[in-house]
Amino acid sequence: MNLKKIRKDVAVVGAGMTVFARRLQETGKEMAWEAAKMALDEAGLTLQDIDAVIMGSAPDAFDGVHKKGDWLLDGAGGTNKPYMRVFIGGGTAVFAPIAGWWHVASGMFQRVLVVCEEKMSSVQPHAQSAFGHIWDPILDRPLKPNLVWIFSMEMQRYMYKYNVRYEDIALVAVKNKRNAVGHPCAQLADPNITLEDVLNSEPMALPVRRLDISPPSDGAAAIVLVSEDVAYEHTDTPVWIDGVGWCIDTTMWTNRDLAFPKFVARAAKMAYEMAGIKDPRKEIDFAEPYDPFDYKELQHLEGLLLAEPGEAAIMTREGKTQRDGEFPVCPSGGLLGVGNPIAAALGIKIGELYWQLAGKAGPRQVKKDVRTGVAQAWGDLMQVSSVVVMRRR
Amino acid sequence: MLERIEKSSEIRHWIGDMEADHYYYSAGIAGEKFFVALRDEGKIVGAHCATCNLTYVPPRIYCERCFAELTEHKDMGKRGCVVAFTVAHYDKAGQRLDPPESFALISLGPRTTPLLHKLGEIAPEKICVGLEVEAVLKPQREGKITDILYFKPVK
Repeated sequence: MNLKKIRKDVAVVGAGMTVFARRLQETGKEMAWEAAKMALDEAGLTLQDIDAVIMGSAPDAFDGVHKKGDWLLDGAGGTNKPYMRVFIGGGTAVFAPIAGWWHVASGMFQRVLVVCEEKMSSVQPHAQSAFGHIWDPILDRPLKPNLVWIFSMEMQRYMYKYNVRYEDIALVAVKNKRNAVGHPCAQLADPNITLEDVLNSEPMALPVRRLDISPPSDGAAAIVLVSEDVAYEHTDTPVWIDGVGWCIDTTMWTNRDLAFPKFVARAAKMAYEMAGIKDPRKEIDFAEPYDPFDYKELQHLEGLLLAEPGEAAIMTREGKTQRDGEFPVCPSGGLLGVGNPIAAALGIKIGELYWQLAGKAGPRQVKKDVRTGVAQAWGDLMQVSSVVVMRRR
Repeated sequence: MLERIEKSSEIRHWIGDMEADHYYYSAGIAGEKFFVALRDEGKIVGAHCATCNLTYVPPRIYCERCFAELTEHKDMGKRGCVVAFTVAHYDKAGQRLDPPESFALISLGPRTTPLLHKLGEIAPEKICVGLEVEAVLKPQREGKITDILYFKPVK
């Protein structure tokens, strides 16, 4: 890998995001347009200024339209422009901006719009019926697995190997749902949630309980990426994408290390090397790891090399990962607090890094002065990770 | 012979599908206006973009060219002209259509996006580009694209 020879630095100069909720009436295109327009407006750009458009959306099976990228095209502003859809399941939220980044970093395009959309309410009776088809049709599907079971096994393995207490994991759900109170798009904010609420919530597939999970949602998010050549024409506070990385583990989920996500660490090392980060714990100020389940925030922090295996739970218990703590984690409220319309988590991960680093996060602004943040997403059959390092200069 | 095994029963196999039980497809904010106007008023409405001087039928909440929000709806009337057409002799399952069915893109005005629909009350050999046609609506309507039965030639 040659991570040095990048032609152009790439900055985020605008972000937009719709409310995350069950939005039966709006079409995916309408939600995509709403988010894309917000991002363009913040950047002070019009669609005519955009050279190329990247669409991120998870499997077609959610919206129920094959070749969903083409279908969403006009809402994403891609008509009559170079356009591509990328998707790596849940990892799309951070992978779509990586695709946008290489369009600009290569020197080919100066201004690129990245739009992510997900409408999970279309699929009936539940999004799980679409997830039911991601398994091996011969070995797994006859046993009728669903994602929650599988994550429960992973969570259980993580707790066993690193001696992590469930009570510490559940604190992540409490933190994120409280953090989301300041987010205008939040579906799951709860200012009064307590640890007991999580511990006493309905068992789904133990050890996973209802409040440990982010439920399906509908929404869209967008960002505007520009080249270093024009960044300061659009804003005084560009936020730079200084490192990107991605990596995928084996297809056979049973063959992976379920306690430590090695593929996250590989993706993170790639992004850190590109960003010139040698000691991530010292050089990164805050993080937006992917948190569809509370234990995933902890596991991902460890995969991102921001904690030793098992240590993230202790950091959480000690309050270090609170928004006003020494290392804020998911100040947005995360997927657990804001919601989880798969690819549209772009707004929670990359969007939040942008708003925090540009000082535009409003009531969610972390107390300490932040210059460097890392965002990460996770997907496909729980095996892929995408990582982005962003900086204010 | 490319296939070593010709009968699927000769190998162990599993029958499956890869769809959900079903989907809810909504018409969206603009689509809702279109179908309610069609059902309740028997009108075909469009949305106009003043910047691009382009009318979308059915309406949209945005212009895909300039991204302007479209709030101006107008009644397009029921008359238009054929932009393109085909006469289908087989259905998608390969069954012969007797008589053949005619489909057309119909534009309801200048600088207006055409609507896909069926043609009726016309012999296939009489159909041509530019033919003036008129929508025939069902008397009892449900708010579906099939509330328009077909377009027929203007006498």
